[in-house]
Amino acid sequence: MHSLSTIYFLTVRSLREAVRNPAQEVGNIFVPLFFFAVTVGSIGSIAADAFGIDNFTGFQVPVAILSAASSISASAGLGTITDIQRGYFDKLLLTPAPRSAIVLGRITADGVRSIIITGVIVIVGLIFRTGFDTGVLGVVLLLAGSFFFGMAYSGFNAAVALRTGSPQAAAAGGLLLFPLIFLSTAFAPKEVFADWLQLLATINPITYILEAQRSLIIEGWNWLDLLRGAAAIFGFGIASFTLTFLALRWRTS
Amino acid sequence: MSAIWAEGLTKHFDEVRAVDGIDLDIAAGTIFGFLGQNGSGKTTTIRMLTTLLRPTAGRARVDGFDILDDARAVRNRIGVALQEAGLDDIQTGRELLTLQARLFGLRGGARRRRIEELLAIVDLEDAADRAVGTYSGGMKRRLDLAAALVHRPGVIFLDEPTTGLDPVSREGIWRYVNRLSVEDGITIFLTTQYLEEADRLAHDLAIIDEGRIIARGSPAEMKASIGTDVVTVEVEAPEALDHAAEVATAVPAVERVQIADGAAVVYVPDGARAVARIVIALDDAGIEVGNVSISRPSLDDVFLEATGHHLRVEEPAPVDGGAA
Repeated sequence: MHSLSTIYFLTVRSLREAVRNPAQEVGNIFVPLFFFAVTVGSIGSIAADAFGIDNFTGFQVPVAILSAASSISASAGLGTITDIQRGYFDKLLLTPAPRSAIVLGRITADGVRSIIITGVIVIVGLIFRTGFDTGVLGVVLLLAGSFFFGMAYSGFNAAVALRTGSPQAAAAGGLLLFPLIFLSTAFAPKEVFADWLQLLATINPITYILEAQRSLIIEGWNWLDLLRGAAAIFGFGIASFTLTFLALRWRTS
Repeated sequence: MSAIWAEGLTKHFDEVRAVDGIDLDIAAGTIFGFLGQNGSGKTTTIRMLTTLLRPTAGRARVDGFDILDDARAVRNRIGVALQEAGLDDIQTGRELLTLQARLFGLRGGARRRRIEELLAIVDLEDAADRAVGTYSGGMKRRLDLAAALVHRPGVIFLDEPTTGLDPVSREGIWRYVNRLSVEDGITIFLTTQYLEEADRLAHDLAIIDEGRIIARGSPAEMKASIGTDVVTVEVEAPEALDHAAEVATAVPAVERVQIADGAAVVYVPDGARAVARIVIALDDAGIEVGNVSISRPSLDDVFLEATGHHLRVEEPAPVDGGAA
């Protein structure tokens, strides 16, 4: 119970920090939406003929969501480093609160911020007539997926922040997702890729997360895609949390 | 009962022996001063005793709990204000104290009352709802002290609490520290590089140099251990300093002579009587004497005797210590 209350209090603190620094949140939402608009505007009209995708706008919404989650998590890594540099992280470690819960507070806040930003992107998508084939329940599932993906990805940045204490390294850690996005089915279906890229996209967990999100938006209920997406997020989470707790152990030993 | 006890406490960072087997036995309710210059091992010792850092070797107990086996129990019983006031600039003072109190398990009305009480103690009631980032350096130190006290700890660790503060803010912090000791009976472990601070506050004192404790006792006992007056003689030609020390050593009643920071430091039972004899002897030896001063033994003399060098204070960039 003490772990849960610690996570709650520190999540609230991180969210308060986000509210009081709105410029950063505007940046986190603006950049993904900008690329979303540019991508849809530039190749949306030929996507049906080139890739066989009728609803390319809906096809691109998950890319914007993952990019936004990446931006959020990078800023969270920097927040952890600011705490370390100011000595506030030590102040938290000096309380009897479980140390893992101290780290999970900020990570959970990133999950919550991912939900909010996903909601904004979905609304923008609806304005652009993406539709949402699985209805309200699908939206709820998409938000839940964003929450867990936001947490999982934030874990990587927390690990980098804890291990290095370097703002530059934390900023670079936030870029980890971009090559993974480009090596996935972010902009076109796998079938049109060269063989080597097809192979990379197949082993890339981001592919399955994107496909699960797309199925909710433009395909309807596809349980196999959803299951694969959930497994990919789970795997991401296991890997990132393992690194986070190892980095925390290193920092406190 | 010992509030803080340690045996062979050691911390190595690769080849560097930051703390090299120190023993501590600090009585409950006292102010313990840990005096040393930057890099001597003070902060590393505090970080081990407060469970922030695992010792390489040795054992320690704080308020009866082992720092390794019962680390959470130790954290429940200690308050800590580290050298850099560890605060969050974005929260308000009240929010910061509230979060701190919640993490220590204080709930509801008891938590709110305690926070109001602390804000009054550190004179931050008017600024409580402002972001910490707008506070002056002195206000941040006071808030940090309040955060360390929020759960009524039995032992407080203060790591150079006045470094970089102006004299008025420094005096204010000393007043709070004394009050905690006298009125609340809290054991205070205070590291400092200021001799005056150690002299004014500490009931019991240890001097640490290069990771080892080299002197221990109350400030009065330490100064009494020197037992003599101190005559400091500067000579015009620095190359004559060794010769000057030899000449001074031969003067009757001189107990010993040390060379430090370009001067000969002469220990004699009666400085006023000896100073003329010392100057005459140097003059007879053809050594041109510069400034000469006589003083009662200070903690700096204790430090000099123990380490062979004066305590070098490294001041960080001054922080704004304004009271408002």
